[in-house]
Amino acid sequence: MTARLDLLERAPGLRRTLKSRLLQPALQLVMLFFFTLAILTGLFGTAAGSRNFGIVFVWIVWWALLIIVLVPVAGRLWCTVCPIPAPGEWLQRRGIVRRTPGKLRTLHKRWPKQLKNMWLQNFGFLLMASFSAVILTRPQVSGWVLLALMLGAVALGVLYDNRVFCRYVCPVGGFIGLYSMLAPLELRVLDCKTCDEHTAKDCVVGNKQGYGCPWLVYPGKLTRNTYCGLCFECLKTCPKDNITLNLRPVGADLLVAKERRLDEAYKAFIMLGCALAYSAVLLGPWGWIKSWANLDTLPHWLIYAAGLWTLNLVILPGLFGLAAMVSHRLTGEQTSRREAFIAYAYTLVPLGLAAWIAFSLGFVFTNGSYALAVISDPFGWGWNLFGTANSPWTPLGSNLVGLLQTGVLTAGLLFAVQTAYRIARQQTLNHDQAFRAALPVISFLTVLTLGFLWLYLG
Amino acid sequence: MDKRELLARISLALILVVMPVGFFIYQYVLRPAISGVRVIDIRAVAPEAGGFQPDSMQVQAGETVTLRFHAEDVTHGIAIGPGLGIDLGEIDPGHMKEVTLTFDEGGTYTFYCNTWCSPNHWRMRGVIEVRDVSNTIPAAQHDPVIDKLTAEGVDIDDTVHNGGQSNRSQEMDNIQPSAQRGAAVISQLIVPPELKDLDWRRSHFPQEAMALLLVANSNASTSDLVDAVAYLWTENTGSQTLASASSLYSKNCAACHGQTGGADGPMADQTAVKPIAFSDLAYMWLRRDDVLYAKIRRGGMGTDMPNFGTLFTPDETWALVNYLRSLTLTSSNP
Repeated sequence: MTARLDLLERAPGLRRTLKSRLLQPALQLVMLFFFTLAILTGLFGTAAGSRNFGIVFVWIVWWALLIIVLVPVAGRLWCTVCPIPAPGEWLQRRGIVRRTPGKLRTLHKRWPKQLKNMWLQNFGFLLMASFSAVILTRPQVSGWVLLALMLGAVALGVLYDNRVFCRYVCPVGGFIGLYSMLAPLELRVLDCKTCDEHTAKDCVVGNKQGYGCPWLVYPGKLTRNTYCGLCFECLKTCPKDNITLNLRPVGADLLVAKERRLDEAYKAFIMLGCALAYSAVLLGPWGWIKSWANLDTLPHWLIYAAGLWTLNLVILPGLFGLAAMVSHRLTGEQTSRREAFIAYAYTLVPLGLAAWIAFSLGFVFTNGSYALAVISDPFGWGWNLFGTANSPWTPLGSNLVGLLQTGVLTAGLLFAVQTAYRIARQQTLNHDQAFRAALPVISFLTVLTLGFLWLYLG
Repeated sequence: MDKRELLARISLALILVVMPVGFFIYQYVLRPAISGVRVIDIRAVAPEAGGFQPDSMQVQAGETVTLRFHAEDVTHGIAIGPGLGIDLGEIDPGHMKEVTLTFDEGGTYTFYCNTWCSPNHWRMRGVIEVRDVSNTIPAAQHDPVIDKLTAEGVDIDDTVHNGGQSNRSQEMDNIQPSAQRGAAVISQLIVPPELKDLDWRRSHFPQEAMALLLVANSNASTSDLVDAVAYLWTENTGSQTLASASSLYSKNCAACHGQTGGADGPMADQTAVKPIAFSDLAYMWLRRDDVLYAKIRRGGMGTDMPNFGTLFTPDETWALVNYLRSLTLTSSNP
């Protein structure tokens, strides 16, 4: 096992804080306040997106914080405080802070086995991406989408036990889970044997201190961050204090071979493809693509959407598949082609996150200053709550953005290259063979990175 | 119940119920109550998306109201007329500008967009009906100039019926009049008395004035006579009036007629009939000021030329006519 730093051992105060039943609801209530404000301003505020709290604080401020800071550093920590599932969960539990006795109050429906994967999240994200130009710029549309997500989460919370919405439906949760594999923060058991010998499995079924894992995970066998929502229920329920928070090397989960799956591989393709598409549509100089994505006419948008789906589900996986097949051949075909394709797809995780960070840098520096104005006039109704309503739009650091994007993409590529080699080494113990085998995938990664650089730098 | 649980539930209720209700109470009850006057929020979007909402309202003469304009899609310019001198300037999308005013007397006023915002920009207007002390809205007055032209049988739409832009005095094509030079030569010429009468000048075109001057000054050069006519046609126009008329022209006319009157504005090729080039001296030499005035106030039938009679006062319209004249009659080289 690679090096780990037990944070809770070094900071006992942190353990006490995370075990408090008040912490998560308190943070969720704060986020719920902002989320409700985003819905209200979206539905009833000005149609000018740059002057609407819902657009600025969700699609600029929150998104930038999520993808540039939270996910790379702390993985799924956003899920800890996310307000979307909170009302549904409180309804299930018939309580917000306290641990209420008895079972969860739901209709106890069973989530279909065929949907116990990321496919719904993959297609959900693609669907949202198809309408992104409209969602990200029209406050009313954005407001309805956010409201629909919350009502959907509540509805699922009534029908099913636990966080079915978060685990299988949330379009944001899908990619946060995937990219959390890179984060240096993880929640794991200290000693697997303790879990094996502990038959009561309080972390799964719950006890007086807390609920069973709402994310339908067995912490004793947790080897990756992908499906752990950092709710810290298991920290509260474990009678053996066998669960902790570690700092670990970046990207450690990428090399956990036995849990690699096709749905996760496709998540990597979809995220990368969408980063490419968003960069071209929202930041690129081609007005016609922008117009088509913006639903100027239905036929144009249909062509755009078809192109987006084809890029993500056929072109990218197809081209990558060719590279992966060559790599697979070069490792002496010691695994199946499908296994090799899926394994190498995880090299797109670091590059994909880097691409999203680079894309987000492109607009957050330019448009972040809108946040000052909307704090004072969230609805665009002419208020001036904090005196900043007339703050002018001020693009920041325009001359730095290209440099930062280049740096991030280069770092992402280097990490992806290293991951490609290490995955190849998992398929052959021979260093030279692994290096040669990784080259086709590395070439694919390099071409993609150059494509992004061309989009951003010209 | 646990205190923390109670606090959490109260917080939830505050967020989901009290906050939304509070926002709307503040916006629609408290804010108008605090302002002390009636506040009317008006949403401004391009006419294709609805224009002004609401686009009509009624107030009492003597009542103070605040009109709050919210631009929601593109930049709009907001002005209110006629005769109020209210021009709020441009409002960028998501921003708001307001004006508090009291209408002294009953009548019908128009608020309108004066920054080109869409192909149907000229339709972006709204109406304020002001009830007078007897609680009636005074009927719109007939324009005496238009009535007089109608009585004379003059075709105001001469662009359609009299050959349009092709009805020009071609001998004026290479001449550049100068009112400034005219000011210097006029004292050396015999000026027939009718040419000194403003009403006569407004109801005749410059070509006719030149013919009368030629009869009285047979030895004068053509250029001196042209300059003299230019001087006579522009002598009543002060520089301040010209400046404000220039601003009116820029905001309301230039999009079609061009910034310098060349009929080369960005929307010139979108109108049903090509806009008139006011910088065409040969054309303007055969046009009457009162017909130009009437066209501006009434609009052009079937030409996409909007009516501005509900936006400008008669004085503002005459100032605009004088400005149009200045495009051909004042030279930068005296």
